[in-house]
Amino acid sequence: MGNLAEELMAELTCETAFTIPVFGGIPIPESVAVTWAIMAFLLIASVLLTRNLKIVPTGKRQIALEYCVTFLNDFFTGILGEHGKRYIPYLSTVLIYIACANLIGLLGVKPPTKDLNVTAGLAIMSIVLIEYCGIYSKGVKGFIKSFAQPMPIITPINIMEIFIKPLSLCMRLFGNVLGAFVVMELIKIIMPAFLPIPFSMYFDIFDGLIQAYVFVFLTSLFMKESME
Amino acid sequence: MSTMVAIGAGIAVFTGIGAGVGIGIATAKAAEAIAKQPEAEAKISKALLLGAALAEATAIYGFVIALLVILFLG
Repeated sequence: MGNLAEELMAELTCETAFTIPVFGGIPIPESVAVTWAIMAFLLIASVLLTRNLKIVPTGKRQIALEYCVTFLNDFFTGILGEHGKRYIPYLSTVLIYIACANLIGLLGVKPPTKDLNVTAGLAIMSIVLIEYCGIYSKGVKGFIKSFAQPMPIITPINIMEIFIKPLSLCMRLFGNVLGAFVVMELIKIIMPAFLPIPFSMYFDIFDGLIQAYVFVFLTSLFMKESME
Repeated sequence: MSTMVAIGAGIAVFTGIGAGVGIGIATAKAAEAIAKQPEAEAKISKALLLGAALAEATAIYGFVIALLVILFLG
């Protein structure tokens, strides 16, 4: 058990991939380097996919792309309503990023979402967006008043929710990815050949995609709540 | 010491009971609802997924605590 604990600890700690040699050396953690790789991949993919689009699509590429974009738009519009259309690009980006980050473990790279700092950053961005939504749609006065709704007595609970929401978003994503990772490691110890394949289908692919979906789904649900 | 840590981690994972029961009830009700109204399947499965994710969170917290217990005490 001691051996396993050490191994898990080694996986948990965020290794420094390389150091930028300016200002006395800025350490770049592995999760940041992998995130940059995902960003580059998504950037190149989006540039390549959106080249010479036509009003009447002829190629399969544009039809598939339009299908995906329409699906995402409909999904978020269904939750947020017509007023929430301005937030769709951010939410879609986070969805695609988390999905890529969870799936990149298949390539043998450490998924960035296994780093608590990454999920904490995503959750903080979400809570800032959620509160911004409330301020934007209700005004500063209405936003402050909304803490005393539906009754003034639950104001402390409403204030506590500001901290609980991102904490639960962050811990859910981190715990799921880490849990899947630990279970996969244990399975690999038991039987390294064949047995991990079906489990990998569930833990790496299905669970990763579901968690990406749940993260943006909950974010948009909280946004809808704060907009009302 | 090591055995106590293992027992503590095991107790922390008991949170999984709540998540299991909760997701089981939610899935049972969703299956019933789909049987009653097959046309509302999309909405029901969306609600089911959300409920399952929220119920699962308790199990995840238990898991994280158990892991921290093993890592920092064991």
